Amino acid sequence: MKNILVIDDAATVRMYHCNILIEAGYHTEEAINGIEALEKALTTHFDLYIVDINMPKMDGYGFLKEVRSQKDINQVPAIMVSTESASNDQVLAYSAGANLYLVKPVRPNDLLSYTRLLLGEGA
Amino acid sequence: MNALLEQFLSESRDFLQGIGEKLMQLEDEPDNTEFMVELFRFVHTLKGNSGLFDFPEMTRVLHASEDLMDSVRNGRVNYSQTLADQLLEAMDFVSVLIDEIEGTGELSNQYTNTSAALAKALRALIIDTNLGSDSEAVAILLESSGALEESVEFNVSELELPEATAMQSYRDLKIGNSVIWLMYTPDPECFFKGEDPFFLVRQIPEVIWSSITTSNNAPLAEMDAYDCKLTFQVITSADISELHELFRYVPEEVRFEIITQANDLISPMGEHNNEPVYDDFIEQAQTLLAKNNTEGLRQLTSTMLELSSPALWCSSALRWLLLILELDETNGALHSALLESLHTFSLTIPIIESVVSDEKLLAENDTVHVETVTNAKIDEPTESNSVHLSKEEQARVNAIIHSQKEILNLPNTNNAWLVGRLKAVALTLKGCCQALHKNEALENLDEALNDALAQSSSEPLLVWLETYSKDFESLVEETVETAEITTPAQITNDEVIQETQKPIALKATESEANTEKLDASPEIKFNRRSEDASAAASKTLKVDQEKIDRLMNLIGEMVVAKNALPYLANRAETVFGVRELSREIKAQYAVINRVAEEMQDTIMQVRMMPVSFIFQRFPRMVRDISRKLGKEVHLVLEGETTEADKNIIEALADPLIHIVRNSLDHGLESPEVRAAAGKPAEGKLLIRASQESDRVLIEIIDDGKGIDPDVIKNKAYEKGLIDETTLERISDQDAVNLVFAAGFSTADVISDLSGRGVGMDVVRSAVEKVNGTVGIESQTGKGTRLFLSLPLSMAVTNVMIIESNKQIFGVPMDMVVETVRVPFNQIRNIKQKQTTVLRGRIVPLLSLNDLLAQNVEQVANEDKEFATLIVRVHGENVGILVDDFRETVDIILKPMVGILGGLSGYSGAALLGDGSVLMVLNPRELI
Amino acid sequence: MGIEYKKALAIFSENVSVEDAEGLLDWLVKNPKGKINLAACTHIHAANLQVLMVVKPTIAAESKDENLQKWLNWALAN
Repeated sequence: MKNILVIDDAATVRMYHCNILIEAGYHTEEAINGIEALEKALTTHFDLYIVDINMPKMDGYGFLKEVRSQKDINQVPAIMVSTESASNDQVLAYSAGANLYLVKPVRPNDLLSYTRLLLGEGA
Repeated sequence: MNALLEQFLSESRDFLQGIGEKLMQLEDEPDNTEFMVELFRFVHTLKGNSGLFDFPEMTRVLHASEDLMDSVRNGRVNYSQTLADQLLEAMDFVSVLIDEIEGTGELSNQYTNTSAALAKALRALIIDTNLGSDSEAVAILLESSGALEESVEFNVSELELPEATAMQSYRDLKIGNSVIWLMYTPDPECFFKGEDPFFLVRQIPEVIWSSITTSNNAPLAEMDAYDCKLTFQVITSADISELHELFRYVPEEVRFEIITQANDLISPMGEHNNEPVYDDFIEQAQTLLAKNNTEGLRQLTSTMLELSSPALWCSSALRWLLLILELDETNGALHSALLESLHTFSLTIPIIESVVSDEKLLAENDTVHVETVTNAKIDEPTESNSVHLSKEEQARVNAIIHSQKEILNLPNTNNAWLVGRLKAVALTLKGCCQALHKNEALENLDEALNDALAQSSSEPLLVWLETYSKDFESLVEETVETAEITTPAQITNDEVIQETQKPIALKATESEANTEKLDASPEIKFNRRSEDASAAASKTLKVDQEKIDRLMNLIGEMVVAKNALPYLANRAETVFGVRELSREIKAQYAVINRVAEEMQDTIMQVRMMPVSFIFQRFPRMVRDISRKLGKEVHLVLEGETTEADKNIIEALADPLIHIVRNSLDHGLESPEVRAAAGKPAEGKLLIRASQESDRVLIEIIDDGKGIDPDVIKNKAYEKGLIDETTLERISDQDAVNLVFAAGFSTADVISDLSGRGVGMDVVRSAVEKVNGTVGIESQTGKGTRLFLSLPLSMAVTNVMIIESNKQIFGVPMDMVVETVRVPFNQIRNIKQKQTTVLRGRIVPLLSLNDLLAQNVEQVANEDKEFATLIVRVHGENVGILVDDFRETVDIILKPMVGILGGLSGYSGAALLGDGSVLMVLNPRELI
Repeated sequence: MGIEYKKALAIFSENVSVEDAEGLLDWLVKNPKGKINLAACTHIHAANLQVLMVVKPTIAAESKDENLQKWLNWALAN
């Protein structure tokens, strides 16, 4: 079963994303900030990260840069999700290592379809 | 209510709490950027959360708050008190909405106006501070805030309505329908938010007229199809509340005007004929009018109209005259004015009144309730996941491909994460290839990646993308005849962003579908999620209090059950004569006892809460009250991490608030008075919590004017609380303590005394209810110190069992001063009350049977001594005569509920080891 | 669904959505004499309405949906 790490400081958003993914048969884990996410990413295998930008301690950019710098996990695709629709954030997200930038709230169909595409499972 | 919504509500409250705290902290340190960033993040996250649901009123206010905080964070707007006030108000509003949602599961549209007003006020702050600094930015902000210029006066005649429309409106007004003009200017970005303004407008009922314009004048080649520059004007006879309901998602983009003056609508139009040939007609008509011959006038006008060319201005005026003759028969002045206008081609309507804006009407009519919430969005067709990609799916594929292209186009800075970035792009592309069965592309992807890694450059991957992106694009073009959503290769970054954003953003909203979908089986999902999040995201767990209470009850029962084992051991030995077994039972009992005690301890720990739970509301409260009273107060909180049982903490909240309020109201003086007394203008209020052995001590210390014992004494005497002798002899400390006496505080005390004393007896009884004590110390002119002492936990109570009239009762040990046996002959009757002398002090004696209204004498022992319980009640020792003392036990005291709850003489009941019920007395109330 | 483009005629289906607007605009730019057949159409997203209002193409067939046609008349009046 594909394992997805959902990183967001808002429990509501985590629950929202996880519910959608679990419903579709994915396994999910959660982290509340970049530091916790990194700890998990380094010890558990994930197929995809879904990461928020603005979080305490370590934000989404910081997390992605760390992940992309770690030899064993640097290839894992990442979807960045944020409420900011500013194009500047999008460039920052790509630069940090995100593969896709989505604006909250992400519709369930969109989230699932993008996830399937990134994981090579279909549309 | 589904789990997601519950989660949202609970988390929202936490965020609101956090926002309030941060604002308070910023008040002290307005330059602390860390607080500022934190505050922004709270507001930002809260807004993001609310966006998952269909609560436009909440999201709107939060969005405005977020934008404001963003400006503050970036230094564009200065943090100020006004700003804090505005934000606090906004958060209070959000809090109200959360309560409403919690109560009803949804949000009624009654909040739309408040929400729009609050959002507007917040956005005004963004602009205000900008004024003067950057006029261009101001203009942009003004525009983007979407606020319509309400100040521009509305004049229906300027609309140049077609005659038929004007007449229809006139008719509606005359027959009592309301006629409303609305102007709707959608946000230029609205297409990206999933809105369809045209669909919304088409939902307006009873439309009489509309005008749709666009300010899009760009050359066709440069026109942006997704930049909404439409303006809709509509005249409708629908109900205003219906319209508010319809536009509740975009109230700041709509302007409503209720047309009240039908006469404003009268505006003949048409060609002006060179030579008016109407002189005869006018003269004749005026004569008929003067005679009030309406019927005659109507016939004459009809005839004249038939003779005139319909396109003429005069014909239009005649048609109006006919309509008015029908609907406003008696308005001779108006008829006459219309006739006169035939000379001049201009109509002066007698008595022109202005249009009343609907806001005024609404103010009078605020409680209009509108049910049903209609959503103006079009349901997007859901397409199935067949082999062929749906349009949406193709858009997503494109979005992914273009994102990767943009990532690869980023400069190849040699940072630590470049390798990871390249690999991740490759893996992402691989996923797409696999998902779409692009095997050939897939085969060459690894090679491209290896080359890229070898060269530390994205170039090879870009080449790969150039080669195969056609595959993906053609895939799109095969099925989509419409637009070339995909972009040619040689485009700039900016364009990529725009292009990729579009398909995403266009579908980003429409949250209700989500929530509905999740609604289906929330329970199951929630459980699965809990399991999945095994190594829990956060290390704390929120548990329903009911579950903890239940757990505590169960442990209590186990403690009781456990206590039955010694009885059993005893019976095994004495009744059945098996000593071995008795010993074994005792050994087992020791083990169970240890575990039970540990469990009890642990559950106590779980129930412990820091006093900050109450303290955290003080900064806001002190700020609000002191500002209202015009006082300057510096609040210091200490020992916020001190913990106590949840029940204790909760019981503490009201008394504490009361005390703090008093302190602000009557203790601390105004800055002028303080200055005159040689004190710093700013008063100090210290609230400190600390733990002393098994009790929590809470002190409220102010440096205000203190309490004047003389004033208290005299008041108490006037109220009859003390007699003359006491008045003379009472010590200052005792006098100050009188503020706790029941009946001391009344309205006139508040105004005259301006010291403590407002409801202090209420405070005392609330504290005593949880076995706490309260005390006060005061120095006139220097300040006051109030202290509360409370048990850490009220779960386990140590009681002494006593016997009276063949029943057993419990008495809380912390009330028992001592137990003595008073010989019969040492009991004296003073004024028909029994007393005795104990260590040189007179102690009043009361019989428990009397107190319980049982008409039985207490039983003395063989030596004619009465068992007497000395209890301390309100600082005085009182002896209670009982029949006998028994052992003391630890019990779990359960307050009595229902009808029994009204028996104040008992503080509760508990189960004993042998299964019997022990009633626990409350001597304070009893006496 | 959407718009079917013939040589010089764009045939609107029942419901024309927001995604169709860009294509419509492109087509009208490339085919300045292109005509619009609205007969089967019951709703067009506002983005499409705006394109029609700006480009003002010839309407070859009005919508049979009276309500839509009424609104289109208002929108395309000028």
